[in-house]
Amino acid sequence: MEFVKDAPIVRYRKVSKSFGDRPILKEINLDIAPGEKIAVIGPSGSGKTTLARLLMTLEEPTSGTIEVDGNQLWHKTVQGKLVRADEKHLHSIRGKIGMVFQHFNLFPHMSILRNVTEAPIHVLGLDKEEAVERAVSMLKKVGLADKLDQYPAQLSGGQKQRVAIARALVMRPKVMLFDEVTSALDPELVGEVLTVIREIAEEGEMAMLLITHEMEFARDVADRIIFTDGGRIVEQGTPEQIFYRPQSPRLITFLSRFRAG
Amino acid sequence: MMVSVDLLPLLFQGAAVTLQVTALSMVVAFVLSFAAGFARLSRIKSIRVASSVYVEVFRGTSLLVQLFWLFFALPLLGIELTALVAGVMALGLNYGAYGSEVVRSAILAIPKGQTEASIALNMSPWLRMRRVILPQALAIMLPSFGNLAIELLKGTSLISLITMADLTYQGMILRTFDSSRTFEIFGLILVMYFVMAYPLTLFMRWLERRFSAGRV
Repeated sequence: MEFVKDAPIVRYRKVSKSFGDRPILKEINLDIAPGEKIAVIGPSGSGKTTLARLLMTLEEPTSGTIEVDGNQLWHKTVQGKLVRADEKHLHSIRGKIGMVFQHFNLFPHMSILRNVTEAPIHVLGLDKEEAVERAVSMLKKVGLADKLDQYPAQLSGGQKQRVAIARALVMRPKVMLFDEVTSALDPELVGEVLTVIREIAEEGEMAMLLITHEMEFARDVADRIIFTDGGRIVEQGTPEQIFYRPQSPRLITFLSRFRAG
Repeated sequence: MMVSVDLLPLLFQGAAVTLQVTALSMVVAFVLSFAAGFARLSRIKSIRVASSVYVEVFRGTSLLVQLFWLFFALPLLGIELTALVAGVMALGLNYGAYGSEVVRSAILAIPKGQTEASIALNMSPWLRMRRVILPQALAIMLPSFGNLAIELLKGTSLISLITMADLTYQGMILRTFDSSRTFEIFGLILVMYFVMAYPLTLFMRWLERRFSAGRV
């Protein structure tokens, strides 16, 4: 809690998630401050991705609550009791969250420009000129303003991921989730994507949850690092604390394995 | 071929009936394909079950018997259908059952990431289906729909057995006048079915090209 100054934009309260009888997350408590950059590290299967997917409403928590900007995400209050939210409720909250995926998930049947204007026009209700203007300036920011009329299949992995970032940014979310966004890229394409994310991070106003295996990147960009293992947040702190003064044996093992491998 | 000219007026009349029944049945089959295909994917179990009962019954029994059932058996229950209605219903129900499997499997073939990306952009379920999933699924459906459309066209020849004067029926009639011209008559009919089916093939190919925009 010592990291949170303003009222948090996201609050996980005792959030658990199991698939069948396999627990993935165990009673997670986590606050994200507005504009805060959090990197989540940890071994695969430790629940990092699920943490983001619950917030993006791609998975439903088994128990616990998540608050976004003061509102319950997965629940509604009806006569003082929390009940499961319907699609309409999710829709009203979800707009504050954006996500970039490991496998880009661009719409292959749409041009690059349409990939980025689609949701502003049909979800936010912007008129076409305004949506195009926003999209073009966002694509400029990720360095792809010359690809407007191309299709995803014509781009490299790094370019696709930058389009995906523009597509998410154009919705102006308050929290952006980056789910291992460089893991599916060829090594020589990782840099261009990380550079774009660094630039976005420097602008500041948007909170970011970066699930990553890029330790150097996490150290440079994040205000706070969270280490997850076995479905729990085992340790958290500033990059200096986590990387140079790790406390828990599991984090020490994890980091040493990383340095070796 | 000059000798065949006298056969043509009747055969053309028959072909017109064939085309009419094909077009109407296609509309019925198309609508049923989507209705039953989506119903198979419903979250509500009773809708899924109802849809798969329909699909299995109409796929698993003979089209000819379905046709006879609608035209000869239903009147015994007090429901009289004209030959046209019975023919269009049987063909539409039968090909709709096949078509629904095409719709269902095409929608399931779209990667889950597409739905997830649309959710992350806060698209409503209807918007996701209409602008993200369906356009991609349609591209997958088209070749199978093309096959079914051509099969449907040729399948209409069965309606000659419930008194409809389609192309096949006219050929059978002409043959009873002069069975020595059987070879010529059936030869002409084959050509005419082909002439009707081939533009359909070309049309489907054109559609496939249009729907595959952007994919390399």
